[in-house]
Amino acid sequence: MEPLRAASFAKRDRTILAIVGLVLIVSTGLFAWSDRKHDWRYYQAEFVRMVAEKFGAAKASALPTGTQQIWVPDLQRADRCITCHQAVSWPGFETAEEPFRTHPKDILRNHPVSRFGCTSCHGGQGYAVDPQEAHGPIEHWEEPVLGRQLGESYTLALPPSSLMQMNCNVCHRYDRSTPGADAINLAKSLVTEKGCRACHVINGRGGTIGPDLTNVGDKPAEQYDFSHLSGQQTAYAWHVGHLKDPRALVQDTVMPNFHFSTKEAQALATLILSWRREPVPASFLSGAPRTEPQTPEEKEAEAKMRTGPGAWFVKTGCFVCHSISVYGVKSPAQIGPDLSVAVEDVQARFGRTIDDFIAAPTGTMSVVLSRQIILSPEEKQVAVQKLREAFAEHQRQKSAGTSTAKADH
Amino acid sequence: MAKPLATAPGIHPRRFWSVRPRSDREAGDAVTSNFSLHWFPARSFRRSLAWSYSFWLGTVSAALFLLLVLSGLPLLFLHIPSVERAYGSVKDIEYVVTFGSWMRAVHRLSAHLMVAAVFLHLVRVFLTGAYKNALGRAQHREWNWVIGVVMLVSTLFLSFTGYLLPWDQLAFWAVTVGTNIAASIPAIGPTVRELLIGGRNIDQPTLLRFYVLHIVFLPGLLGVLFAYHMWRVRKDGGLARADQLGLAAEKVELPPSPTKTYSLLGIARGTGPTVRSTTLQAPDELVNSVPDLVRRIGIVVLGTIAALSMLSVFVRSPLEEPANPLVTPNPAKAPWYFLWLQEIVTDTTFKVGSLTINGAFLGGVLLPGALLGLLTVWPWLDRSPAATAGRWLPRNRRFQNAVFLLFVLGVLLLTVIGTFCRGPYWHFYWPWEAWPQVPSRI
Amino acid sequence: MTEEKRSRRELLKTVGIGTGLVALGAQGGAALRSLVPNVSYDAPTTVKLGPPGEFPDGLKYLPEERLFVFREGRVLHAISAVCTHLGCTVRAEALSSPETREVGGKALRLTHRFLCPCHGSRYTGDGTNVAGPAPRPLTWYELSLAADDGQLVVDLARPVDRDFRLTIA
Repeated sequence: MEPLRAASFAKRDRTILAIVGLVLIVSTGLFAWSDRKHDWRYYQAEFVRMVAEKFGAAKASALPTGTQQIWVPDLQRADRCITCHQAVSWPGFETAEEPFRTHPKDILRNHPVSRFGCTSCHGGQGYAVDPQEAHGPIEHWEEPVLGRQLGESYTLALPPSSLMQMNCNVCHRYDRSTPGADAINLAKSLVTEKGCRACHVINGRGGTIGPDLTNVGDKPAEQYDFSHLSGQQTAYAWHVGHLKDPRALVQDTVMPNFHFSTKEAQALATLILSWRREPVPASFLSGAPRTEPQTPEEKEAEAKMRTGPGAWFVKTGCFVCHSISVYGVKSPAQIGPDLSVAVEDVQARFGRTIDDFIAAPTGTMSVVLSRQIILSPEEKQVAVQKLREAFAEHQRQKSAGTSTAKADH
Repeated sequence: MAKPLATAPGIHPRRFWSVRPRSDREAGDAVTSNFSLHWFPARSFRRSLAWSYSFWLGTVSAALFLLLVLSGLPLLFLHIPSVERAYGSVKDIEYVVTFGSWMRAVHRLSAHLMVAAVFLHLVRVFLTGAYKNALGRAQHREWNWVIGVVMLVSTLFLSFTGYLLPWDQLAFWAVTVGTNIAASIPAIGPTVRELLIGGRNIDQPTLLRFYVLHIVFLPGLLGVLFAYHMWRVRKDGGLARADQLGLAAEKVELPPSPTKTYSLLGIARGTGPTVRSTTLQAPDELVNSVPDLVRRIGIVVLGTIAALSMLSVFVRSPLEEPANPLVTPNPAKAPWYFLWLQEIVTDTTFKVGSLTINGAFLGGVLLPGALLGLLTVWPWLDRSPAATAGRWLPRNRRFQNAVFLLFVLGVLLLTVIGTFCRGPYWHFYWPWEAWPQVPSRI
Repeated sequence: MTEEKRSRRELLKTVGIGTGLVALGAQGGAALRSLVPNVSYDAPTTVKLGPPGEFPDGLKYLPEERLFVFREGRVLHAISAVCTHLGCTVRAEALSSPETREVGGKALRLTHRFLCPCHGSRYTGDGTNVAGPAPRPLTWYELSLAADDGQLVVDLARPVDRDFRLTIA
């Protein structure tokens, strides 16, 4: 082959190529390292240590590792708080420092974590796995964790963790009073007492002198006029200031000054910001009945059926298709004939005695008695006996003129 | 016993293409047996390889495109193109996918840098007059220039379709602004807008449309155009700078080459067509493509990848609030490469008496359209001598180069103004003036 | 060219290309690793069923998990109520007299049998299919106690053999 004459820059190029290769390796190492560098790894290791110390190594080794998430499909929320806050359901860490503290038990009884997630109550960015981005405040995420820290930054006259009640009220909006949501309850009672609805539409009804407040919690913060508000420029602060002195923030307002105390103004602001257009599945709404209770009459009729003379037919399930009218047992489906007259009816239809028929049924009954309602030989004898008793009762009632039993097909 | 046909012409003994030819035969079989030599000529003009001639911007752009495709592939599995789930899927990429935030950063930074690289490449090609044909013989570099402009527009459109996909506030409102500008075209505007959006409002059809354009049609188009762009370079005899060698050689009478012929009969009878080859006449001006050109390409491509890997560790990709049709962010800005357009739209919207000039059409469609059109046909309008092809800032192209640079600087200035000097409500703020605090909810 | 120069050249070339390939390979590996999910959007397969105190001796049916939980003193086991034919939920029917049988090598007191209303499959109290179209016995699932709050936990992704018993304190 023709002698290969290297270009004069070849040597320099080779060195550059080697350096480029090294930079590539270094950057690969760097990004791999930066992916592993998360606070949650430290917190998980720490919690393993705490559990091992308190409950033994066996329990500690059962702790899950890696990013954890609670996915609530109904609310479309993926909450990763439990990656660090692993102690939520571990009894015994009630006095530990966050993120290793047990969650108060009472509220979880009817607000289980698997159904509600974490952020629907506490706020914050459920997607994130790093503390600053999860708790906020952080750019481009509107709702920080509504906890003690935020409350203290507002020097709340209410208990510092009251801001969370803003989220309670998203579901409990139409309750007159919600146990455990004291700030909201105070605010709601003020709304009634001071007659806010005279001028404002609230929860769908009210006057039109002032703006409609039904979904005022959705109003973007930039649309408030902060020119007369000193201090924090937040919608919450604006409402507190406005409630304390409406004319100070809105020059030409007709809203009277109710001389609310700071505590009352803050409670009202919490309530106001909870009035949002938030899609809540019906099953989450408080106040909507979640059971269908029986009326007292229905209860009595059912008790009578279960404990009265026709109880055997109810227990076995015969009554699903057959009424036994002499005992007041009403079949919901009424597919088959009234068993009160079965003794006579079977003879008339099939030319067989009831004993014979039960022992060797035909038609639908053969399917039912071989698959769905399986009676032992003793039970079959009981069946025949009960049917005869029912028929005797039918004859008694007929002669007394009270029976309504009919053999119909 | 005859030797086996393993070395017969056309038979390539190895299982795979070779990287470097090991014999003259293999170099001759280059198109089918050697990967690099199917693309590059066996020998390249050494001055075309100079760092300071082209800054290798075309290769950088191609490397960035490659990186975008490679980083885009895993993202394809991870992003969900549904308006309900897109935002959450991008948050997942950032937080719970292993290496997700790095891959997203690579993709985003490569996209931004590719727009810059492609633009700088265009500037370089203009300033060196590399769209000209110095040798004249069947050269058509002006068409390569047109292909290049189309590729630039495709790159910008790729960027535009791409940043809708996270479905955050920036995405939603940037597309709102962009499609409203399209709607300002007289007569056909609203139809264009409706076709782009897939309806009357920006919603699921828009996302799906932009998604398919972004992952299938535009990359496909760019790939095809890239192949044609490369082929055209070969057919035109290499980079424009290589024409200088041809021009120099023309001054010298070239004897017929003793070692090259096109005809077997010519060897036998001595009367076949003879080849005069400048490349054989000036061996000092040439380097072997394998390894010297290929090595430099390796440096540029690997170097681009290395630089981006490194940058992506330190520069996080932002994600704004979820898209909300009821709330416009303040200020609502296009990404930096369209900010010059947004600035022009602002500046061409004004009142003349009772007449309001619609900046959207004037500044958003007419003006950039006119500039783009002028740029595209410039090779035919350029009156400077063809011999200036491949020369940096030659004297007889001074005027056009100056005007061009003025436009470029204007675009850059408008971009800077749009980025640093426009605050809430698009008010003008000097860079040292503080913007008003952005209020938050709580 | 001297040997020294040649080997240095080879070294630089190897370093350049080698590290490039290794790094690119690692980045490709990273891309693949990103496709292994770290969090699950599925319904969790380990379900907390409640504290053991809420499970009386005998049978408790859990409709959401379609699971029968049997308890005898301190020993619990769980049988799925999903018919192995086409997935209907079987009904438990009390036996008139409970029988004790050896199941999985251990004695088990069977108080119920199972009947499927859809196509008539029948199972004995330990889940064995004895009549009808059911091809396989009812599945037994693993029970455990949650490490954190001691609730009974069923793992619906872990079927177990019929010698499985959970003995609690």
